[in-house]
Formats: sequence, C-alpha cells, structure tokens
Amino acid sequence: MPDPAKKLSVEIYSDRVVTTLVMFSVIWAVIGMLAGVYVAAEMVWPALNFDQSWLSFGRLRTFHTNVVIFGFGVSALMGTAYYSVQRTSHVRLYASNLAWFTCWAWQIAILAGGISLLMGLTTSKEYAELEWPFDIAITLVWVCFAIVFFGTIAKRRIKQIYISNWFYGGLIIVIAMLHIVNNLALPVTLTKSYSLYAGAQDAIVQWWYGHNAVGFLLTGGFLGMMYYFLPKQAERPIWSYKLSIVAFWAFTYSYIWAGPHHLHFNAIPEWVQNLGMVMSLVLLAPSWASMVNGIMTVSSAWEKLRSDPSLKFIVLALAFYGLATFEGPMLAIKSVNIISHFTEWTIGHVHSGALGWNAMITYGTFYFLVPRLVGGNLYSVRLANIHFWLALAGTILYIVALWGAGVSQGVLWLSLDDLGELRYSFTEVMAAMKPYYLLRLVAGILFFIGTLLMIYNFFKTIVGRRTIAVRPPIESLAVA
Amino acid sequence: MNGVQLHQVLEKNIGLLIFGILFVSAIGGLVQVLPSLFQESLKTASPNTKVYSPLELVGRDVYIREGCSTCHSQQIRPLVAEVERYGTYSRAGEFVYDRPFLWGSKRTGPDLHRIGGKYSNEWHRIHLINPRDVVQNSIMPAYPWLAERAANQDGDIKNKLQVLVKLGHPYTDDDIESSGSMLEGQSELDALIAYLQVLGTAYAKGEQ
Amino acid sequence: MQSAFSPRLMLRLLFQPNIVFKELAELEPSSIAVFFKVALWFGVLPPLFAYIGASKFGWRLGTVEPLSLQKEILLSISVAYFIALLFGFISAAIVSRWMANTYGARQSLGIHFAMITVVGAPIAVGSIVHLYPNVFINVLVLIPALLWSMYLLYRGLPIVLHTTPERGMLMSSSLIGYLLVAFVSLLGITVFLWINGIGPLMGV
Repeated sequence: MPDPAKKLSVEIYSDRVVTTLVMFSVIWAVIGMLAGVYVAAEMVWPALNFDQSWLSFGRLRTFHTNVVIFGFGVSALMGTAYYSVQRTSHVRLYASNLAWFTCWAWQIAILAGGISLLMGLTTSKEYAELEWPFDIAITLVWVCFAIVFFGTIAKRRIKQIYISNWFYGGLIIVIAMLHIVNNLALPVTLTKSYSLYAGAQDAIVQWWYGHNAVGFLLTGGFLGMMYYFLPKQAERPIWSYKLSIVAFWAFTYSYIWAGPHHLHFNAIPEWVQNLGMVMSLVLLAPSWASMVNGIMTVSSAWEKLRSDPSLKFIVLALAFYGLATFEGPMLAIKSVNIISHFTEWTIGHVHSGALGWNAMITYGTFYFLVPRLVGGNLYSVRLANIHFWLALAGTILYIVALWGAGVSQGVLWLSLDDLGELRYSFTEVMAAMKPYYLLRLVAGILFFIGTLLMIYNFFKTIVGRRTIAVRPPIESLAVA
Repeated sequence: MNGVQLHQVLEKNIGLLIFGILFVSAIGGLVQVLPSLFQESLKTASPNTKVYSPLELVGRDVYIREGCSTCHSQQIRPLVAEVERYGTYSRAGEFVYDRPFLWGSKRTGPDLHRIGGKYSNEWHRIHLINPRDVVQNSIMPAYPWLAERAANQDGDIKNKLQVLVKLGHPYTDDDIESSGSMLEGQSELDALIAYLQVLGTAYAKGEQ
Repeated sequence: MQSAFSPRLMLRLLFQPNIVFKELAELEPSSIAVFFKVALWFGVLPPLFAYIGASKFGWRLGTVEPLSLQKEILLSISVAYFIALLFGFISAAIVSRWMANTYGARQSLGIHFAMITVVGAPIAVGSIVHLYPNVFINVLVLIPALLWSMYLLYRGLPIVLHTTPERGMLMSSSLIGYLLVAFVSLLGITVFLWINGIGPLMGV
C-alpha cells in the first residue's frame, strides 16, 4: 500500500500548462481581434488591402474568425478545462506530458493554419476552412485532449462528476463528431481537396457542423467555464443542481437540430428547414435555464464580491448570453429570417455572442485565474475596470450599428415601388452601409483597446513570477 | 427510474456519460441530416446542368481561394424581389457538381448565382482588376494578381478531374487527357471569368 | 430641495446627476404620480417626433429616395411605437422591482418607475432626432444617448434603490440584459409584421 502522506508530498496540480494556455489565448485574442479591426476598416476603405492577396478581405476575414474561435477560444477552453477538471476531481492531470503536447501542438496548428489561410488554402466551408492536413492534425490533438480530460476524470477521487465537466465533455465529444463528418474530403494535393458531399447536401452537412460548432464550442464549452468559475468566485454552490441537469441534456439533445435555420428558403427540403426552425425555438429554454442558474448563483452571494473585477465581466457576459440566445431563435423564425438573412444583422448577432458572451466570460475568468495561478495580486484593478467599460461600450455600439445596417439592408433589398419594381439598386444599398461600417470599426477599436489593456495588466502581474504549486486537498488523498 | 435518477448513474460513470452525450447529440443528425444524404432529388442534376470545364473548375477554385464566398452568396431565394433582382430562384439540382457548395451566408456584395451572361468578359476583366473603375462606390477588393498568374500554375488539373471522377462527376478519359491543353495560355483571371460566365446558366433568362 | 418627482428634477439630471440621485433616494413617489406626471410625457416624445418626421420627409434608410408611407399607416405605426415603449417602460419597472428582492434593493414600485424614467430620459429626449428621419443620423445621436442612459443606470441604481455598489452593479447588468432582449423582440416583431404585409411594400 502506498502511503497517502507520501503521495501527498509529490502530487501537485499541473497548472503550468494552464498558465501557458491562458497566455497563448490572450495573444491569439490580440492577433485575431486586430485582424477583425483591419477587415472592418477594409469594408470602409477597400484600398487598405494594398493589392496584397494575403491582406485582402476574403482571406483576412477567414483568418480573423479562425484565430479568434480556435486560437483565443479553444486555448481558453483547453486551459480552463485542465484547471477545473483537476480541482473538481481532486487529482493531478492524467498524462500531463500529453497535456503539454496538446498545448503546443494546438498553438502550432493555429499558427500554421492561420498562415495557410492567408496563403489562400481554404475549403471555404465556414469555420471549417482549414485544408485536410490540418483537419487530421486537429483531430489528433483533439483525441489527446480527450484522453487527458477523460483520463483525469477516470482517476478522480470524488465520486460525482461535476457539472462543468459535462459541458467540457460535451464540447470534446460533439466537436469531434462534427469535425470529422463535415471535413470528409478526397485530397487532390497536399493543399487541395474536394468535399465528399456536393451542393445542397454539402450545405446541410456544413450547417449541421457550423451551427453546432457555435453550439457546443462557443455556447456549451463556455457554459462549462461558467459552471466552474462562477460558483467558485461566488463561493456558493450552483443555485439549482436539478436545473443544470435538465438544461444540460435538453441543450445537448436540441441544439444539434437547429442548423438548417442557416438555409431558410434555400434549395434544401422544406421539412428540414421547418424542423430546424421549430428546434431553434425549443432551444431557448435550455439556453436560458443555464443563464438563470448563473445569475441566481451570483445574486445570492453578493457579499462575497470584492473589488475583484472578474465577476462584473461574468455577470455582463450572462446578460449578453441572454440576448444572443434569445436573438438566435428569433432570427430562426422564417418571417424574420427573410429580412435578416444575408445581412449584417447576422454578423451583429454573432458578435453579441462572441464579444458579449465568449470574450467577456473569458476575460472575467482570466482576471480571476491569472493572479491565482502565479500567486500574486492583479497589477491594476483600475485598468481592469476601464477595460470593463470599453468592452461594454464597444459591444453595445457594435450590436446597435449592425442592427441598423442589417435591418436597412433587409428592408431596402426587398422594397418594391407602387408598380411592383425594385425600389433600390444593390449599389445604392451598399453605399448606404458606409456609415454603419464606420461605426462598427469604432466599436471594434474600443473593444480591441480594452483587450490590449488586459494583456498589459497580465504582463505586469506575471512578470518575475512563476506558476505556484497547488496540492489536491488532503482528505481526498486519504480516502484514495 | 426517472430522468434525474438516470443522470445520477451517468454522472458517476465516465464511460456511460461519454456514451450518453454521444447518443443524445447524434439523434438530431441521424434523423435530420442523414436522410438528406440519401435523398435522390438533392443529387439529381437539373436538365441543363453540366460538369465544369477544366478552365471553369480552375476559376471556381480561384473563387474559393480568394474567399469570394465570404461576401457573395450563390443562392437566390424564391421571393418576388429576389427573383426580380437576380433571376429565377436556385434549384438543388443546379449544384450537384459543386464541391464544396458556395451558397455563402452574407451579401456584402450581390448574389452571383445567375451572374453568368449578365456582363461581358471585358467588364469582368476591368472589374476584377479594379472594381471602382466600373462601379464607383464598390467596396470590393481589387485582384490584380489574378491576371499575372497562369491558370495551370499549380499543375494539378488532371489530379483534380480524376478525384472528381471518383466522386461521381461524369468526366471522360478524353476530358482528363485534354485538360492540360485547355488551360494553355490562360490566366487565372480568364479562368475566374469563365467560371462566372457559366454560373446559373442552366436556367435561361426569364425561365421559371 | 425638491420634494417630489417632477419634470424639473429630470431637467437637472442633465447637469447634476449625482445630486438628483441623492434626492431620489429620499423620495417615496407613487407609481401613478411618476407615470402620469413625468414618464408618460417622455414616452410620448419619440412616437410624436417620429410621426412628424416621417410624414414631413419620409424615412431615409440611407439611400437617395426616401420611403414614404400613407398617413393612416404612419399613424398606426406611431401608436404601435408608443404602446411598445409603454410596454417596455412598465415591464422594465416591474422586472426591476422583481429583481429588487434578489439584490436587496427597495421594493416600492414607484421608485422603480422613477428609476426607469431616469434611465430612459436621455433616449426619449434624444429621440428629437426622429424629426429628421435618416436612420444613420438617428443611430449617431441615439448611441451617445444610450451610453448616457447606461451610465445613469450603473451610477444611479445603487444610490436610488438603496443597495450596495456591488449588488447595484449586478442588478444593472441584469437589467441591461432584460432591456436588450426587450429591444430585440421589438425589432423582431416589427420585421415580422412587415413581412406579413403591415408596413412598407416588400416583394416576398
């Protein structure tokens, strides 16, 4: 029998890999958002591509989405998953060397993948643009991620698997399924392949993937983050355990059906569209259940709030989450979709989720996590508060500008005069968008400046420090 | 055993939990996506829909490479105003040779599904090299490098056709043999224009 | 010192918000009084300006040719706008009071009416820009008004509703969540009505 006390003296959580992932996540946030700001500027001043192929909108926009989702988002999810799974299992990461491998391999894949997108190597399927060698590399890293994550749970010292782990687990499993099915293709060369599906069928498969990448990565994955870090910060258990169970399974079941609302009135069978619409509406219930659970958890623990700015971000993130998960089903209603489809409204909706929910909850989590990882205090709470206001103003401005742009586009494109002729030419409508694009650029810059303040704040917090060693609680070692 | 009790079993057994998540999340795809992969009407070509010629195929791959589909849709919805603006609405049968599909999700620029034959080759040439020479307010990027690159630059056209044959596109051996020569002396700009000019031409103008 | 919730108090909001908040914190206004003496008049402004602007110039969605509507349709749209604003106002006050329990804030409905009136005031006054019905100009003017409203909300809520700054912060964010959802619903309903034949002629 190994002596538990002896084991205790050696076992510490693998947190250095978490720190590294958090740092990479922040760096990708800066790079990805800078690209976002640049493409926003190109929509106002098209000459900004300087006739360089890699700087032109079509390539840089894809770079922007991939870097923020897979660089910033997934690195953050991976880091926080590793952090929380150890603490909810009271055990060090399983195969922590493999965890280091997933960390570095993922960064290399994003870097090389990002460059390949700028070189024009793309499948053009949204959020699955990377060509087949990258798809295989991503699958491998993902499998390793799954081994580390589920392996850690398998050797846990606590009987129950905590809620946050279901959501992170859902992220790992469902994204793997979607990624593999959607990217099936026959290679032509190392850099070119043709999809196994064609036309309308390809469209259905792609939006089954595309919508659920949003669902299980940007919604579910980040809910995992919320379910661990919010109760942690509030120092309260989650408000309703039962509600979280129902929300999780209902979410996992119903999200997957909603994809076809991206193809309303397109050349796919009508029953597929209608089913997609109905399930999108159903989806509101489990989405909001998690929001209510989060809000009620903090609300009962206000006295625990310190000057710590991170809860501010998390609570605001939940407000925008509420907006985005309400707006989504609404835009899935066919009569509303007629107007919103193909317009800036969609982009605004995505950003109310991406900026308001994903970025803000990540910022909130990082403001909590970074000082604790290195065992110090945040360098400047004041800077973090300024960041909060910049993020709030930037997000609101972004959403409002694109509501204006989207509704205008939708109405003007479809407007007829008394003779039943089109009232406006396409170029007229396009030219009318310029002011909104300018506003959106300003919004993006505000948000970006906030992110820069954060990275500076973290740099000053971390410099000269190392990740501190944390041990699992003694009691759980004794029972193991 | 009610749902909550079932969950209490799952949350203590990681293997069952993984299986549960996989099972529950797969149902939607199996019921909704899988049947459409076997639906004949979605893979039967419309009467005049043909495979892309080698030059058009290269043009299409340029269209993909430059990310044209981030700003241009290729999908006309069956709405009065949309048909009036762009032409008759899109049918599933017109896209059976599109790998991947390029329907797009955003119209920063206009829909291009029936752009074929609307403008002259010369117009496209000027427009692609500098859009603002023909459309004053255009915010489209300029693509001058397309004129400088040869259509057969990548040298993989035969491979491309062979792969597509494997996927069921009806190219003959002759088509594949002669494909190289069909790109001779053409630029990527020519290829892209050839592609744009064939887009949506399976339905003649005004045909419903 | 003011002793009642009055339009004059609202005017001073522009210059001395903090003093107004402190005065409001002492007040116990009745919801009826707040509603009929102040809120209603602010609520009438946006639809009124919109009606005048649209019937005089027609709506400009940024393009050359304005979108003109018949007087009767315009009137019904303005009335619907007014009703939507009233609904938004009253529901926000009720939601705010509902939240008050959770955040340990004051419970009387009247003070929540007053707080929402204060928050909505910059937008109501800013709606004077509806007189010139160009969507972009409207957005340009209403965004600063909106930001000012948000500032008043975060700043004033803990003072007026007697709660700690931390809880006030949480409650303000929750209210922003509600208001965003309410607004986007309005947008959705409007679009839904257009598509179903009420409003401008569309080829669908």
